[in-house]
Amino acid sequence: MSLLLLACLFPLFSPEPLPQNADRVSFIRDIYPLLSRNCLQCHGPAQQQGNFRIDSRNDLLNHTIIVPHQPDNSQLLQRIALPQSDEQHMPPVGNPLTQTQQQLLRQWILQGAEIPDPFTPPAHWAWSPPVKPTPPQPHTQNSPSDSPIDAFVQQHLDDHQLRLAPQAEPQVLIRRLYLALIGLPPSPAEVRAFTADPTPAHFRRIVDDLLQRPQFGERWARHWLDLARYADSHGFQRDDLRDSWAYRDWVIQAMNNDLPYDQFTIEQLAGDLLPNATESQRIATGFHRCSPTNVEAGSLPEETRAEQLIDRVNTTATIWLGTTLECAQCHDHKYDPFTMHDYYQLLACFNNTAIEADRANPAQPSSIRFIGPEMPLSDPRHDSARHSLQQQITQLQQQLDQRRRQLTLELPQWARDLQHKHTHQTQASVILKAHSIQSLGTMDAWSTLPDGSLLVTGADPPDNDLVTVTIRQTLQNVRALQLETLTHDSLPGQGPGRGDADRPNFVLHELTATVNRHAAAPEPLVFTAATADFSQQKWPVAAAIDGKPDTGWAIAPQFARPHQAVFLLSKPLTLNAQDSLTIQLDQHFGNGRSIGRLRLTALSAQSADTQNSSSTPDPQHEQLLAIAAVPAADWQPAQQQQLLDYRTQLDQPSQHLQQQLLKLQKQLQTLAPPTTLVMVEQQPRPSFIFQRGDYRQPGAPVQPGIPALFRTTQQTPQPRNRLELARWLVSPRNPLAARAAVNRWWAELFGTGLVTTPEDLGSRCDPPSHPELLDWLAVELQEHGWSMKHLLRQIVLSRTWQQSAHGSPELLQIDDQNRLLARGPTFRMDAEMIRDHLLAVSGLLDHRQFGPPIRPPQPAGFWSKIGGQQYDYQVSDGSEKYRRSIYIVIKRSAIHPSLATFDGPARFTCTVQRSRTSTALQALALLNEPVAATAAAALAAKLLNSTTDSTDQQRITTGFQLCTARTPQPQELQVLLQLLQQQRNALQHRPTDVALINNSRPENSTPPTDPLEQAAWTTLATVLLNLHETSTRP
Amino acid sequence: MSFSQPQPSNAVSRRHAITAAAQTASAAVATTALGSNNSSRANPLPPTAPPQQPPPHFTPKARHLICLHMIGAPSQLDLFDEKPELVRRHGQPCPESVTRNRDFAFIGKTSVLAGSPWKFRQHGQCGLRLSELLPELGTVADELAVIRSLHTTEINHAPAQMFLHSGFGRSGRPSLGAWLSWGLGSENPNLPAWVVLLSGPPGGAGTSLWSAGFLPGVHQGTQFRSQGDPVLFLSSPPGIQIADRQRQLATLQQLNSLRAQQTLDPAAAVRNSQYELALRMQSSVPELLALNEESPQTLGMYGATAGKPSFAANCLLARRMIERGVRTVELFDADWDHHSGLQTALPRKCREVDQPIAALIRDLRQRGLLHDTLILWTSEFGRTPLQQGTDPNSAGRDHHKDAFTMWLAGAGIKQGISLGTTDDFGMDIAERPVHVHDLQATVLHLLGLNHEQLTYRYQGRDFRLTDVHGQVIQEILA
Repeated sequence: MSLLLLACLFPLFSPEPLPQNADRVSFIRDIYPLLSRNCLQCHGPAQQQGNFRIDSRNDLLNHTIIVPHQPDNSQLLQRIALPQSDEQHMPPVGNPLTQTQQQLLRQWILQGAEIPDPFTPPAHWAWSPPVKPTPPQPHTQNSPSDSPIDAFVQQHLDDHQLRLAPQAEPQVLIRRLYLALIGLPPSPAEVRAFTADPTPAHFRRIVDDLLQRPQFGERWARHWLDLARYADSHGFQRDDLRDSWAYRDWVIQAMNNDLPYDQFTIEQLAGDLLPNATESQRIATGFHRCSPTNVEAGSLPEETRAEQLIDRVNTTATIWLGTTLECAQCHDHKYDPFTMHDYYQLLACFNNTAIEADRANPAQPSSIRFIGPEMPLSDPRHDSARHSLQQQITQLQQQLDQRRRQLTLELPQWARDLQHKHTHQTQASVILKAHSIQSLGTMDAWSTLPDGSLLVTGADPPDNDLVTVTIRQTLQNVRALQLETLTHDSLPGQGPGRGDADRPNFVLHELTATVNRHAAAPEPLVFTAATADFSQQKWPVAAAIDGKPDTGWAIAPQFARPHQAVFLLSKPLTLNAQDSLTIQLDQHFGNGRSIGRLRLTALSAQSADTQNSSSTPDPQHEQLLAIAAVPAADWQPAQQQQLLDYRTQLDQPSQHLQQQLLKLQKQLQTLAPPTTLVMVEQQPRPSFIFQRGDYRQPGAPVQPGIPALFRTTQQTPQPRNRLELARWLVSPRNPLAARAAVNRWWAELFGTGLVTTPEDLGSRCDPPSHPELLDWLAVELQEHGWSMKHLLRQIVLSRTWQQSAHGSPELLQIDDQNRLLARGPTFRMDAEMIRDHLLAVSGLLDHRQFGPPIRPPQPAGFWSKIGGQQYDYQVSDGSEKYRRSIYIVIKRSAIHPSLATFDGPARFTCTVQRSRTSTALQALALLNEPVAATAAAALAAKLLNSTTDSTDQQRITTGFQLCTARTPQPQELQVLLQLLQQQRNALQHRPTDVALINNSRPENSTPPTDPLEQAAWTTLATVLLNLHETSTRP
Repeated sequence: MSFSQPQPSNAVSRRHAITAAAQTASAAVATTALGSNNSSRANPLPPTAPPQQPPPHFTPKARHLICLHMIGAPSQLDLFDEKPELVRRHGQPCPESVTRNRDFAFIGKTSVLAGSPWKFRQHGQCGLRLSELLPELGTVADELAVIRSLHTTEINHAPAQMFLHSGFGRSGRPSLGAWLSWGLGSENPNLPAWVVLLSGPPGGAGTSLWSAGFLPGVHQGTQFRSQGDPVLFLSSPPGIQIADRQRQLATLQQLNSLRAQQTLDPAAAVRNSQYELALRMQSSVPELLALNEESPQTLGMYGATAGKPSFAANCLLARRMIERGVRTVELFDADWDHHSGLQTALPRKCREVDQPIAALIRDLRQRGLLHDTLILWTSEFGRTPLQQGTDPNSAGRDHHKDAFTMWLAGAGIKQGISLGTTDDFGMDIAERPVHVHDLQATVLHLLGLNHEQLTYRYQGRDFRLTDVHGQVIQEILA
C-alpha cells in the first residue's frame, strides 16, 4: 500500500502531504527533523529525561525505544499512539504526532530503522545563510511559465503527479491582484478593461501601475504595523492616548517609496544614531516607542523600563531573527541554540534610551506620569503665525519685567504700609490651615500654596471625591466659614473644577463641619444661610447645606475664574488649642467634578457682613507679614521675591499684562506643532543578565552583542549600539532577516507562509513546504537592493499565484491545507480590508491620506474610563469618518469593534500572524453595524441613480460586479431578483419602516425620489455586501 | 505492506482537529465542514452542525463556571479573616519585623495597625466565622470552601487582575474563560461559551480580562452590555423586521451555496452557519435577558429589579445563562478599592452583593444546578492590616498580595470547610499557602481538564494557563 493512499485515508491529519516517491524513508531527511521538533526539548542537550536523547544514535538503538523491523515492539511508536489523556503519552505537552507522522516512523522502523554511523545531528537549515539555488528545468508540457517560482513549485507537484491549476478567471484574477496590492477592489471599468485584454503583458502593466499607487503603502503598512505593535495609546490601566501617528505615516510612505528593507530596518531601529539624521529618520524610530507603557498609579518605573526593554528585544528577534528568542529571557533556550547571555547581550544594545514613565513626585509612589521623549514635527504652515505670537509674548514679558522693576523700587514703602495696616486692624478673618487632608483620589497629592490655599494635583482625578480637611488652630468668635474656589494653571482649563478642560465645573453637594473637643462627643456645626458670588442655575449655593445628597452648588458657565461662598454659622464658634475642626466637602457628581484649589477662611462678625467684598488674597498671611516687619535692607533675596510676587498679584497693571500674556500663550499652545515619539540615546547603562528573567536580580554583567550562534569566529566584531546591531541584522551574516521577511510577504499573498509559522523559523518549526523556493526568494530580495516591490512583483506574476483557487474533491483529500500549491490562494479578508472594501464599493470611501487618527462611529460608552483621562469620543466630521481603516484610532484597551470583531489585534505585542476566525458576531457586525447599514443604503442609491442601468437586472448585475468583480450567473441573478420583488411587496405597506431604513443613508445625501425603491434596494444591497465572496480574497 | 484501520483516539483527534482548523482557516462554533468524518466534500453545505464540544481530559465535576470578581480587592480582614490581635493593637505602630522586606503600593512602613471595626460571628453547622457585613452569605456558609491563604505575584490592579485571569501579569494571554471555551466548547449553539457581565466600570485591565489572547478570537468573552445592544450590533437597523432578515438570510445562503458548489471553499459553509447563529441570537439573547419572566419571589430573593442594571440582576442573569448552557459566566463588580473611606464604603458595597450572592447559591441549589456549576468568588489581591491615611474616620487599607481570601462553592467542592491560616496580623500566611496558579489548576481540574496538558502552541512555545506552576488544591475537593 502506498503512502499516497494512506494520506487519503487520513486527510484530516495531514498538514504536510507525504511525497509519493518517499518509499525509502531517510533518517536524516525525514525522521530526525520530526523527532527534533517534538522530542528534543526533554531528550536533547538541555535535558535527558529517562536518560536518553534523540540526537544520540546509541541512545535510540540501545533501548527498547526503537526495535528495528518491529514497530509494534518499539516503545516510541507505542507511546506516541496512546491517547493524550494517558500518562504515558508522548509528547506530554503540545500537539500529538499526526497519523501521517506516525506512519512515517512506522515505515522507517519496518525498513530497519537505519541511522548513519557515526551520526551527527544536522544543523538546522535556518542557521546557515541562504544560497541561491538554480531553479529546476521546467517540463515544457507542465509549465508554460518562465518564473523560477513556478519551476520550484512544479518540481514538488511532479512528485505527486500534479500540475498547476488553470489560471483564475480574469475577473477573479484582477480582483485578487487589486486586493493583494492596494487592499481595494477594482472598479467595474477596470475589470472590464482587463477582461477585454487578459494578456500577461496587460496584467504586468496593471501590476506596475498598482505598485506605484499611493494606496499600496496603506495596504502594506497594516501588516508592518501589526509587527511594530503600533497603537495610539499607552496600554495597561491608564490607557491614555499619545501621538505617534507620524510614525504610522512614515511606514506608509516608506512602503510607497519602496525604501529598501535594509534601510527600512536601520532607520526604524536606529535612525536617530545615523550621522546627520533627518527628521524622517528620527520619526522612524517611533518603531520601538510603540512598546506599551505602564503609567498605572503605584507601578514601578524601573519595572516598566525593564518590560519595555524585554518587549524591544522580543520584537526585534521575532521580526529579524524569526525565532522565539524570548524563551531565553528566563533560561537558556530549550531547543534553539540561544543562551540567556545571548538574550541579554541584545538587551544591552537597547539599554541606553530615556525612561518613559516616572514619578512626578519621587516621594509619592502613585504619582506616575508619562515622560517619554517627544519630537515636534516640522509644521511650516503655522511658522509665521507662531513667530508673530512669540514676538508679542516677548514684548509683553518685557513690559511685565519693567513693571516689576518699578514695584521693586516701591517695595520697602509698600511693606511698611502693609505692616502698619495690619497692626491697626482688628483681626477680621483668619485663613484656616489644614492640619491634614484626606481625599479619595489614589493618585492625588495636596499642597498648601503661599497664599494659604490648598491645591490638589494628580493625573487621575477620582470620579467622585470626599475631601476632609482637619484644622487645629485657635479661633475666636467665628461667625461664618468662607470657601473660595480658585483657579490654577495646573488645573484643566484653569479650574476651579478638575473634570476636563472644556467644562472645569465642580458640584459641591454638601459642606459639613464638625468640632471635636477634648473628651466630648463630636459636635456638628449648623449653618443657617449660604451666599455666593455666583451660582449655576438650579445649583444654588444654599443646596450645599440643605442636607440633601443630590443637590449642590455649581458654577457653570463661569469657569476659569475664582468664586467664593460664605456659610453662616447658627452660633459663634471658638476653637481652643486642644480642639479640632473637620470640614468635609462631598462632591459625588462623577467625572471628576470636584474643586481643584480651594481656600477656607474663618470670618468674624465684622467680616462676615462684608462677605462679597473681594476675593483678593488675605494680607494677613503670617509669613508675608513677618517679612514685611523686617527692614528692607535685611531681606533675603528669596524673601524679597516672595513679597514681590505677592505685591504683583495685587497690582492691577501687572495683572492686566499677565492676563494678556496667558491669552497669547494659550493661542501659541493651540498652534503648537504636532509631536511624535522617538528614541533618544543617553549615556550607556551597565547591563546584566536578569536571573530567572527578573530585573530585580541582576547577575553577570553583559556587553552589547549578537547571539554566539551567528559569530562565525571570535574575531567577528560585536555591535556596540543599536545602529551597529541594525546593520548586522540586515547584513549577509544574518541568515534569517531576508528569509523571515519573504516568508511573511508570501503569507500575506497566499494566506499561509512557506514556513507555516512565520514567527518561528527555529528548529521546532514545521519545515518549509518549498525550502529551495524560500532561499531563492530570500537571495533574490538581497540581490535586488532589498526591494519589497520587486519581490511582490515576482510573486504576483507567477502562475502559481495566479491559479484558480477552486478545489477539487481529490485535491482537497491529498492536500486540504494547500501546502503543495496546486491551486490558488483564497481566504477571509483582514479587518481593515473588510471595512475599506465596504466603503469602496458603496462609494463612501474618502481617500485622503495621513494625519492624526480618525474616529468612526462606535457604540456609546465603548471607551469607558478605566484609569487616566476621560475621553469624549467625538465621531470624525463628514467623510473623515469614512477614511481608510489604517487611520482608525487604536486605543489598546478598546479596539474599535470594526477591527476587533474581525481579529484585529490589540497591538500589545508584536503580532506576526492574525487568527482568521468566522463568528456570529462578525455576521451581526456586517449586517447591523451603522457603517454597514449606511454602506448598504449608499450602494442602493448608487445603483438606483445609475444613468447607464435602467432595468432591475442591469442594476443587480452592476451591484454584484461592484462587490465580487464578476458577472452573476443567471441562477444567482434570479435569486436576487426574487428577493427584490419580495422586499418591494413586503415594504409596500410599511411606510414607517421605509422611512426608517432610508434614514441610514449617508448624511447630506439627496433624498430618494422613490423611497420604497430605495428601501427595497437597500435590503438587497445588504445581501450583496454580506456575501461570503464579498469579504473573501478570491 | 498493509496497515490495519487506524484507531484515531477521540480525545486527541477532536481537539487537534479544532486546533488545526482554527490555525488555518475558519474555526467557529461550528466547524463541521472542516472536521468530522461524515462531512462530505461533495456537498459543501451540510446542515448546521451541533456546537463543537471537545471532550474533557477526564470526567469533570463541573460543567459550568460562575466567577464573581470584586474589582479593586475587598478587605479580607473585615470580611473573612478575623484577627482579634489586630483589633487589640488597633492604632499601634506595626512591628518593624512585620514590614521588613515588604513593599506597599501607596503607604509607608510607619503606618499603624488597623483592626476591623466589625464584629465576626459563627454561621451554619460548619461554624464558619464571617463579618457582620455578610449576614446573607452566612446563611449559605455550609456550601462554602473558604481559602484564607491565597497569595499572588502582582501588587497593582491591572497586572494582578491579568495574573489572576490569564496566569501572566501583562496582556496578551488567554483568560480562564477562553481556555475553557477552547478546551470544552459551548453547550448552547445560540449563545457564546463565555459571557461577561459588569456592574460599574470595567476593572483596571479592562477588556483584556476577557481576551482570548493568542487563542482564536471566537474564544474571547462576550460582554453583555447594560447600555445599548446587550451584544454589539445585535439589533437590526431601524425599519428592518425579522421577516426581512429571514428573506435576506435565505438569499444569502442560497448564493453562498451556489458559489461554493464551484469553489468547494469549506469556509462558505462555516460562514452560512455563523449567519444562522447570528439570527438565532437576535431572539435568544433578548429572551435570556427578559428578567420580567422571573417570579416576584425570585426577583425579591436576589433583590433585583427587571430592567434595572445591578449586580443583583447580573447574578440572576448568571443563573439564566447557566440554565441555557453557557459554559462560563463572569461577573465583575466595581469599586472595591478602599484606600480611604473604608468605614462607609465597605458596608455599602457589601449590601450590594451579599444578598444576591447568597440568593444565587440558594437558587442554583433549589433548581438542581449547583451540582454541576462551580462558583468562584475572587479579587485580584487583598488589603493590608496597616491603615492608610491618618484620620481614622476616613482611613482605608492598601493593596496586599501576600495573604488574602477567596471562596468556592458548588460542583466538586467540599462543603463548609476552611483552608489555610494567616498570622496574628493577617500580614503573612501561617499555614498552607495557595498560589493563584494553584487556584487556576484546581478550577481546570474541576472542569475536567489537566492544567499541564491544556496547552496551545503559539509563536513556537506551548503555553499553559498555569505557566510552569500550579498544584491542584486537593483539600477542598469533595
